[in-house]
Amino acid sequence: MSGDSDAGAGAGAGLSVGGFALRVVLVAAGLAALGYGVDGLLTMPRATRPSNATAWLIGGIVVHDALLVPGTMLVGFALSRLVRAPYRAVVQGALIVSGAVALMSLPLWRGYGGSVDNPSVNPLPYGRNLAIVLGAVWAGAALLMISRAVRVRRTGRRGDSADG
Amino acid sequence: MARMLSGRLPDPPTAVRRGPLRAGAFPSTLHDQRVASLLGIALGITFGTCFLTGLVSHFMQHPPTWLSWPSRPVWLYRVTQGLHVTTGLASVPLLLVKLWTVYPRLWEWPPVRSVAHALERLTIVPLIAGSIFQLATGIANIAQWYRFHFFFTVTHYWVAWITIGALVVHIAAKLTTVRANVGRKRHERIPGTAVSAAPERTAGGREGDSRREGAGGGGQVLEDLEDQGNLGNGRDGAPPAGGLTRRGLAVATGTAAAVIVVTTAGQAVPALAPLDLLAPRRPDLGPQGLPVNRTARTARAARVAVAARDPGYRLEAVGTRRVGYDLAQLHALPSHTVRLPITCVEGWSADATWHGPRLRDLLDAALIPVDATVRVESLEAHGGYRASEVRPAHARDPLTLLATGLNDADLELYHGYPARLIAPDRPGVLQTKWVHRVVLL
Ligand code: HEM
Repeated sequence: MSGDSDAGAGAGAGLSVGGFALRVVLVAAGLAALGYGVDGLLTMPRATRPSNATAWLIGGIVVHDALLVPGTMLVGFALSRLVRAPYRAVVQGALIVSGAVALMSLPLWRGYGGSVDNPSVNPLPYGRNLAIVLGAVWAGAALLMISRAVRVRRTGRRGDSADG
Repeated sequence: MARMLSGRLPDPPTAVRRGPLRAGAFPSTLHDQRVASLLGIALGITFGTCFLTGLVSHFMQHPPTWLSWPSRPVWLYRVTQGLHVTTGLASVPLLLVKLWTVYPRLWEWPPVRSVAHALERLTIVPLIAGSIFQLATGIANIAQWYRFHFFFTVTHYWVAWITIGALVVHIAAKLTTVRANVGRKRHERIPGTAVSAAPERTAGGREGDSRREGAGGGGQVLEDLEDQGNLGNGRDGAPPAGGLTRRGLAVATGTAAAVIVVTTAGQAVPALAPLDLLAPRRPDLGPQGLPVNRTARTARAARVAVAARDPGYRLEAVGTRRVGYDLAQLHALPSHTVRLPITCVEGWSADATWHGPRLRDLLDAALIPVDATVRVESLEAHGGYRASEVRPAHARDPLTLLATGLNDADLELYHGYPARLIAPDRPGVLQTKWVHRVVLL
């Protein structure tokens, strides 16, 4: 636990006795659930394929920490050079929305999955649909940027209205 | 014990403090405790919802003997499973933005301060691994994209326990931090506030000086500031230079979640069907205007198709007495029409009009007692879903049919011709298709 403070110094330093007890209960319950899950995963190896499941569990962290976040940071860095102040926030926001939407529907617009003999699985033109959704997102972003441009011109001040 | 856990460990040599380990390596002020706390609360709600609705799905499919699910309301499972998948999908931006926000903590210096700190960091591993795993496997599964070698349901179930357990431990660890960063009175809850700012940050900014001077608790102050690690706490962060503010980040993340909900929930919520652009199913697309999950066309199931079309087909009910009906007799039985949703474990659901004999009439004909559990068996020879158990609440419900027709036409093979079970409030995998026998258990 962030918890040197919590577990150790405990009640004396700003944490009430009740708060301390709550934490002890939460930690115990959490560890019990965690252990139950690990035990279940390992006792049904024919269904869970522990080595394959572990590869996916660790693989997820690695892909996220080593690729996704550094990639995002590179994009952020590029934006800070390429897009000026009142508009950058809008572009960042629209990219967050676009990235999340594209990621959660990735198998669909990439054409992964589905079922050869069952046309009711993944039946839509997902590439086109993604374009429609992202088009709407960026249209909204464009409107926001226009309104910011107008505001900047009116007030004559720059970079002051970055709230968005 | 407490001393052993919280005793300060020696720092590693500063010579290795390079790259992302450097002070100030992550300059964005959005790496911030308030952002992390608010996103944490949102994720606690969505993951909690996923976990509870997931348990409902699990225990509907594998009920312990003492648990008897009601057959009403007819839409209960439709709501819980639709909620499960939609909330899970909406968690994608919440999780990714949250992890981005706290990313500097991965490179925290010193890497471990004490045994307790090391243990806390250790429980972060199953938390992140489990969270990403649940979302990734869930997304792949609903698209029927089976790139993994494990059985989805079982593995997703056990990893859910791992994830939720690690989440509860994490909540316990972050309670004070969240309280000091969220809510109207948050500034009063900053534990020990004698020191003005984290070492790496410059003071000043919108909420700059709201930190209250006063009664500091010695070591506690230090620990709490250190707990902040290389995250800012907004109270002292300079406003970002022209990029997203904290508020802007919250708006963008919320918008992402909202766009995801609006473009996918239509696979379960009829009113949103026209906006169903990015979900794996459309409630009106499929044979006879209804989606299908399992078909009789795969090699293994091919013999089902043959058996189902065999003119010698008979539907049997076996209780104290054995009764059997050929196709003509089956269609001659008193028929009832019901409007019931079919809800797939994969989250989509669709209303349909079914007709056919009531299950309970067949049970009566076979002299099966009212309080008995029965098994409905399919023509399939193998497979986990070839039969399903029907307990009295569902077996005796007047809405439960062995449907022979769908939307005013005869049932097609896709939907379980010659007869399929359709009952209220029941996962689709248990609505057994191609039924040929009902037996008393
Ligand atoms: C994008 C996110 C997610 C999607 C699309 C998703 C999808 C699914 C699906 C399709 C099922 C039904 C499996 C079946 O019966 O065949 C399921 C079950 C379940 N899910 Fe999720 N899920 C997601 C996230 C989560 C999360 C975050 C948790 C909890 C931490 C969770 C916990 C469960 C549990 C406990 C079950 C029951 C498994 C069983 O029947 O044994 N899910 N999920």
